[in-house]
Amino acid sequence: MKNILFILFCAFLFSSCEKEIDLQLDDKSGTIVIEGNITDQQGPYYVRITRSVAFTEDNQYPAITDAVVTISDNTGQSETLQYEGDGRYKTSSLVSSPGNTYTLNVLIDGVNYSAQSTMPSPVTLDGLIQDSITIAGETTYNILPVYTDPSFLGNRYLFILTIDGKTDKTLQVFSDNINNGMVNQRTIMPSLDDDDEIVPGDIINVEMQCIDQNIYTYYSALIQISGGGGPGGSVTPANPPSNINNGALGYFSAHTTASKSMVIQ
Amino acid sequence: MKTFLIRHFALAAMLFSSAVAMAQKYTISGTIKDKNNGEFMIGAAVQIAENPAAGAITNEYGFYSLSMPEGEYTILCSYAGFDQQQKSVTLNKNIRLDWLLDTPRTNALDEVVVGSVKKDKNLSQAQMGIETLNIKKIEKLPVLFGEKDVMKTIQLLPGIKSNGEGSSGFSVRGGAADQNLILLDEAPVYNASHLLGFFSTFNSDALKDASIIKGNSPSQYGGRLSSVMDVKMKDGNNQDYNVTGGIGLISSRLSVEGPIQKDKSSFIISGRRTYADLFLRGSEDFKDSKLYFYDLNIKANYQINSNNRIYLSGYFGRDVLGLGSTFGTDWGNTTATLRWNSILSRQLFSNTSLIYSNYDYKLNFESAGSNLGLNSQIKDYNLKQDFSWFASSKHSLRFGLQSIYHGITPSKSSGTSVDSYPKKTRYSWENALYINDDFKASEQLTLNYGLRLSAFTIIGGDTYNIYQNGELTGSRDLEKGTLGKTYLNLEPRLTANYRIDELSSVKAGYSRNTQNLHLLSNSSSGSPSDQWIGSSYTVKPEIADQFSVGYSRNFSDNNYEINTEVYYKDMQNQIDYKNGAEITFDAGKDVESELLFGKGRAYGVELIAKKKSGKLTGWVSYTLSKTERKIDGINNDKWYNTRLDKTHDLSVVATYTLNPKWSLSGLFVYSTGNAVTFPTGKYELNGQTVFQYSSRNADRMPDYHRMDLSATYEPNKKKRFHGSWTFGLYNVYGRENAYTITFEDNPDKPGTTRAMQTSLFRWVPNVTYNFKF
Repeated sequence: MKNILFILFCAFLFSSCEKEIDLQLDDKSGTIVIEGNITDQQGPYYVRITRSVAFTEDNQYPAITDAVVTISDNTGQSETLQYEGDGRYKTSSLVSSPGNTYTLNVLIDGVNYSAQSTMPSPVTLDGLIQDSITIAGETTYNILPVYTDPSFLGNRYLFILTIDGKTDKTLQVFSDNINNGMVNQRTIMPSLDDDDEIVPGDIINVEMQCIDQNIYTYYSALIQISGGGGPGGSVTPANPPSNINNGALGYFSAHTTASKSMVIQ
Repeated sequence: MKTFLIRHFALAAMLFSSAVAMAQKYTISGTIKDKNNGEFMIGAAVQIAENPAAGAITNEYGFYSLSMPEGEYTILCSYAGFDQQQKSVTLNKNIRLDWLLDTPRTNALDEVVVGSVKKDKNLSQAQMGIETLNIKKIEKLPVLFGEKDVMKTIQLLPGIKSNGEGSSGFSVRGGAADQNLILLDEAPVYNASHLLGFFSTFNSDALKDASIIKGNSPSQYGGRLSSVMDVKMKDGNNQDYNVTGGIGLISSRLSVEGPIQKDKSSFIISGRRTYADLFLRGSEDFKDSKLYFYDLNIKANYQINSNNRIYLSGYFGRDVLGLGSTFGTDWGNTTATLRWNSILSRQLFSNTSLIYSNYDYKLNFESAGSNLGLNSQIKDYNLKQDFSWFASSKHSLRFGLQSIYHGITPSKSSGTSVDSYPKKTRYSWENALYINDDFKASEQLTLNYGLRLSAFTIIGGDTYNIYQNGELTGSRDLEKGTLGKTYLNLEPRLTANYRIDELSSVKAGYSRNTQNLHLLSNSSSGSPSDQWIGSSYTVKPEIADQFSVGYSRNFSDNNYEINTEVYYKDMQNQIDYKNGAEITFDAGKDVESELLFGKGRAYGVELIAKKKSGKLTGWVSYTLSKTERKIDGINNDKWYNTRLDKTHDLSVVATYTLNPKWSLSGLFVYSTGNAVTFPTGKYELNGQTVFQYSSRNADRMPDYHRMDLSATYEPNKKKRFHGSWTFGLYNVYGRENAYTITFEDNPDKPGTTRAMQTSLFRWVPNVTYNFKF
């Protein structure tokens, strides 16, 4: 929303100028990063463990290869994951089910990182509808995911947009704090980068995840810090509040997933 | 608390009682007006030639009162830029003496005077941390797009920091934007900015006077922690009709003023509108778009008799932004003030005001056949009764009460969207009793001290949830018509001035301010959608204690002046959103569950040196300061810099009068970059690069500096119709000041990241034509 305001305003009044600059940034990297997902689809499920690197380095993230990774749930299942490569650990027997609470434990160099997540009930994604707005002669396409929010409160959604097989940078989260129990009215806007723009003929895929409240808070914060500048700068950035303890970055999410595709007309 | 209250009131009563018992004296009182337009003059001086230490200054309604022993006196009346007048009186009874001051016949008005009247006023008044801007005298200073703006000029003074490039928003001594009380004819203005902060709501053509007090305000002011910016509209010329106007690049202005009944009543109507959208409508791409703001100031006054006068003033302003039917947002303020000034006796002046103030914000977004909307509002009804009692030549007292009824509607969904947790308008009642004495204790020592008792009461009609660290711990269901919790606060204020000699003085002050309305903002620059909330069971009143000391010295016949102040401010119950707070469309069930609380501290040294007369006038101001906050749940509960913690802040302002037709102005500003949070690492998540952060606001934006120049050409000053041209250039040497710095994957070198800086406003020229007839 703010981005649109800002772009509008700039387009009208100013020609702002942008350039690359060189900054002396502190390096406090080397932190454990855990990315764990369990879905309502059949396994295997993966947990990826890497370390963060300095800003000035290349985007090569050292994999943690010797962690002891276990996932258990409230029905008594428990499994130690097998290392597969590229920091990825894989389940082999774990069976997931909505409503269950999963516990992740990761032991690295004597430090235990743990997290919990509860898989919500699935919500059906009925379809996608395209919508467009025209700003300054340029048409931007938005996608309306069609689904009916369940009548009970507390549903949280994460949307991931893929344009011609390329995942869009902009993630979006919705809550039922508005329009509880109603058919969804909110569209998903792709990121404003020129090269990620949707044009007619593009194949759009939308993945809808039903996530728990902690993961919703995590993604809300992640979206806020990865958004553009906005007038005068956006929120003061900080690491998103992770559901993993002991200072690890990342998240552990048990969620349901549903996808739909369409071709932009 | 109770004994604390009683003790303070007893102490105050004791001090005030000394004001009453005095020897036989008579009073000289009256009003001072500008002969040219009948406007009351604020801060004009009346002095006794035989006793230069005795004197009085007119209050904000042009009234003064002065007590002297029986005798023969020569009385002088003066105001900067006006001819001094004198009258001889035999004082053997109370007398009324009204003055009409006139401007000199020559064109000697080309000086920039910050502050006014008695040239050594800075040495004699007890008030600290106050700066007054005469609207007329700042109009030659260069400004972005040529839009004169008091809120931008104020940022050139020490201790007052700009919110950002081109912004009208400001921070005073480390305070947040909502900690400034901005009054327009006594009515609070809740959002004083237009177009994302690049312009303020104040149209200079309609203004008479603006002053700002940096935390040491006398007790008649209250309700905000950091400062009081008191802006007064012109009363309207009661002698003659005048039309003034201006045509600029961004907007045009037109004001009409004149008598309704000569000498008795007058009016002023002043409007301003931007017109960028009118040009854009011509282009095919933007033809459905709306982008403008307007301001309308209206004021009328009527003199019932020599002792009574009523005023009615109003302000309406609105911003409208939209794209056909797809997207629209608009917001604005409305204020109205009905005021009755009455001279009850020679020594007692009364001002009664009824004030209405409203701010509302709307947002509409149409997509795929649905219409999503948000709106919020804050509406006040306000009664003020203020008395000025000129008790003796030593004591002038202000006392009175203020009562405000607030109705605050939080961000609510509208259109086809429905809040899952319906939100109600919350009502509250804010009251204050105050007393303040300006006491000339001796030739050298003057004191300004007072007490303010503020009360904030929650009025029933909603359920109030109680949160601790964001966790729900209880709730209070308050029936409509019942009163909930009341927060009582006693705010002592004291400033003292000791005149060391003819040319120098020292000052010291302490004041406590409290604040019960809080602006929640998650963006660093502020946005119209930021919402106000009142104190509640979760949100406690903010409290600030400020200690300051100062030194002033004048040179060469008071033409040069140096003021310096050192301050330390301690702030309690400061508010911030928690990380990842649910806001705007997902406004959560209760915004109070998304808040964190903590404390703040600010300290610094401020210096200003002014040259007040001659061909070259201006000032140099410098601030060295530090501002920090500590909020549990942010930055590992450790102290961190606030965003506007600019260590060094320098402004140089100069106006040079070449000849009666041409004058040149320039300004230079330099400040340390804002405190910001840059990445300290990066990692990969869902296949995307994510940046890692550590300490909050531990990094700095690049230093900010820029120079602006302007030239004003005023031919034919003596004719009835007179026009003037102002030419200006903003950011003369084209400094690329960083507006934002963002971090991203480098598209030119895949697999790496880079930092990108965005700058605005390089070499922005402007031309404005102003006229008056």
